[in-house]
Amino acid sequence: MALAPELVTAEAEPEADAAALAALADWCVRFSPAVAIDAPDGLFLDVTGVDHLWGGEPALLADFRKRLAANGLPFRCAIADTPGAAWALAHYGEAHFGKESAIAPPGGQGELLSPLRPAALRFDQATWAQVERLGIRQVGQLLSIPRGPFARRFGRAAMTRVDQALGRETEALTFRRPPSAWFARLAFAEPISAPEDMARVAHDVAAQLCARLDAKGLGARRFEILFHRVDGQAAPVEVGLALPGRDAARIGKLFAPKLEAIDPGFGIEVVTITAEGVEPISGRQARLDAGRETTVEEGLAPLVDRLMNRLGEDRVWRAQPVESHVPELAVGRAKPLSSPLAKSSARDSQEARPWNPATPRPARLFRRPEPVDMVLAITPDDPPSQFRWRGQTHRVRRAEGPERIGEEWWKGAIEDADVGHVRDYYRVEDANGGRFWLFRAGLYGDPDVPPKWWLHGVFG
Amino acid sequence: MSDFRALRAKIAAIETSGRPDAGVLPFGDARIDGCLPGGGLPLGRWHEVCADGMETETAAAPTAFTALMAAPLARQGEVVWVLRRDDLWAPGLAGLGFPAERLIQVCARDEAEALSVMEDALATVGVAAVVGEVEACDLTAGRRLQLACEKRRATGFVIHRRPYGGAAKRDATGSAAATRWRVSSAPSEPSAGEFGLGAPRFSVALERCRGGRTGAWLLEAAQAYDSGAYDLEMTDVAHPLRLVADLGDRQLAPAQPIRLAG
Repeated sequence: MALAPELVTAEAEPEADAAALAALADWCVRFSPAVAIDAPDGLFLDVTGVDHLWGGEPALLADFRKRLAANGLPFRCAIADTPGAAWALAHYGEAHFGKESAIAPPGGQGELLSPLRPAALRFDQATWAQVERLGIRQVGQLLSIPRGPFARRFGRAAMTRVDQALGRETEALTFRRPPSAWFARLAFAEPISAPEDMARVAHDVAAQLCARLDAKGLGARRFEILFHRVDGQAAPVEVGLALPGRDAARIGKLFAPKLEAIDPGFGIEVVTITAEGVEPISGRQARLDAGRETTVEEGLAPLVDRLMNRLGEDRVWRAQPVESHVPELAVGRAKPLSSPLAKSSARDSQEARPWNPATPRPARLFRRPEPVDMVLAITPDDPPSQFRWRGQTHRVRRAEGPERIGEEWWKGAIEDADVGHVRDYYRVEDANGGRFWLFRAGLYGDPDVPPKWWLHGVFG
Repeated sequence: MSDFRALRAKIAAIETSGRPDAGVLPFGDARIDGCLPGGGLPLGRWHEVCADGMETETAAAPTAFTALMAAPLARQGEVVWVLRRDDLWAPGLAGLGFPAERLIQVCARDEAEALSVMEDALATVGVAAVVGEVEACDLTAGRRLQLACEKRRATGFVIHRRPYGGAAKRDATGSAAATRWRVSSAPSEPSAGEFGLGAPRFSVALERCRGGRTGAWLLEAAQAYDSGAYDLEMTDVAHPLRLVADLGDRQLAPAQPIRLAG
């Protein structure tokens, strides 16, 4: 401090740095769908098959540099065949390439790496010390050592690093979002912000991707559109399909109502779309108007998609049997287009058996049983002869029961299980014909705690 | 006379918007079918089902009745049931003979949404019937439902139900529905020598019927809770509702002659 009094100091904030790096990684998605974070201060972008959108790697890199500079970020970047070589060129290439970014021609990274310092190969501490001790000053010197002696002297890990840099071994990167080949992008000369424009570009970018899916005979289950704003923010919108599809008009329509929630800010300059859950589909789905030729699923799928995207995924379902004798647990919710509980699948041991139609069950089951009072019933097991529910007294004319249903004691702690935790269900009919499903919780026996009566459902 | 017949055909053509008739679903008993135009429940139209008293909220009897009416349609395609409160219980419907594997349940957040979901579902290929639980359906909404029905000749059922308690709103007087039914549970009659409850019975009044007559009947779901499971592949089966008795005259005329004072 005495030597440089003008020095500004700041606390190191690793968490904030990591958050900022993650935000930058998200922003970089406009250049490539596959972005990996190289903590603490680097990013890997997989630009394979993307550079033609800019007209070549130099143009891509120039645009990248311009935008980073506009945001006031200091940076160094390089493009190479392998992550290792790109890392080396970006970190240690400055001495040779100056401020210009390095672009290694395909297969030419060995030549470019040779003059760099050995630290460019991302060795661990011990290897690096060994390399220093031997007086090796350039990568080229290392590369000239035969593989056998090299591995013996510096270890397998160091050999791997060299192979990764030269492309003799592949390196697995942890991409922030999994790289998707199903990616399309639209850039605009002028930023857009009108809602109708956004709806149109959503359709256009979807059409681009769907044309590619169509050519391969594929469809996708989820589509995500990212609207990249001028100020570097990106707003995602996602729609899901019940069956994989590739009808751009339909997908555009699903996006349309969700676009209202997007704040375009000062304008949107780039739109990207990714497809997930890509799988082969039959080519017939593209024509929905074919009338008779469409199967049941193809007609239903668009409906289910519209409903699920509008109401929410948990509001559209198909009832599915669950193996449980506790009434409220006997019904599960399945996806509306999942294989219906057809007779063939019921035989499968994995599937729960369908409900037995011979045991009467109410058409309306209350989520919480409702208490009934003024119950007249002969102990211990007779059905009630009278009860009051919601302020109305019902005289029971006919009754069936009891059907005893115990708790699922094997699911809870063994101390909580009790023989008294049973419900005795009765189907009763009152004088007017109303049919009810009543149960008595617990057993008679303890005079201080008489069993309670509940109404669980109505038959109609 | 031929003029009269031609006029009738003309009106029928206007009413169906010139589309071919979707057919009817006969009950299989001339006493009911005789009241309905074409000799059965008109398909490709929508029908109202109402209830009285507490049933306007629980809607148990209308639910069972609608499920029984829609069960034959479920053999032809999916049935979409639009709910406001998710207390519809599939095991109960399966017991009545309704194929639960053909049922798609949708829980709407409000009245308008329920009606728009119904409309959307009615116009979909592969949907044979749509049941909606709404409080009231005004003329505009009813007309829209009718247009949606005509698109794919699907059949709609609107159960008038107040989802969260209280008394039901007054039914809209005018309505685009083909029929309006008022349903309540009726005491069952177990067959001789049996204990407990018999097959579910409903007293059903046909209150409005376009191009037909009104009536009231006692119906029984004869095959309910039958262990002989329904088979979706079977095509020629009897209507699940069996006519037990004609109630029409008894309900319309007072049981005791009114004695005039004086």
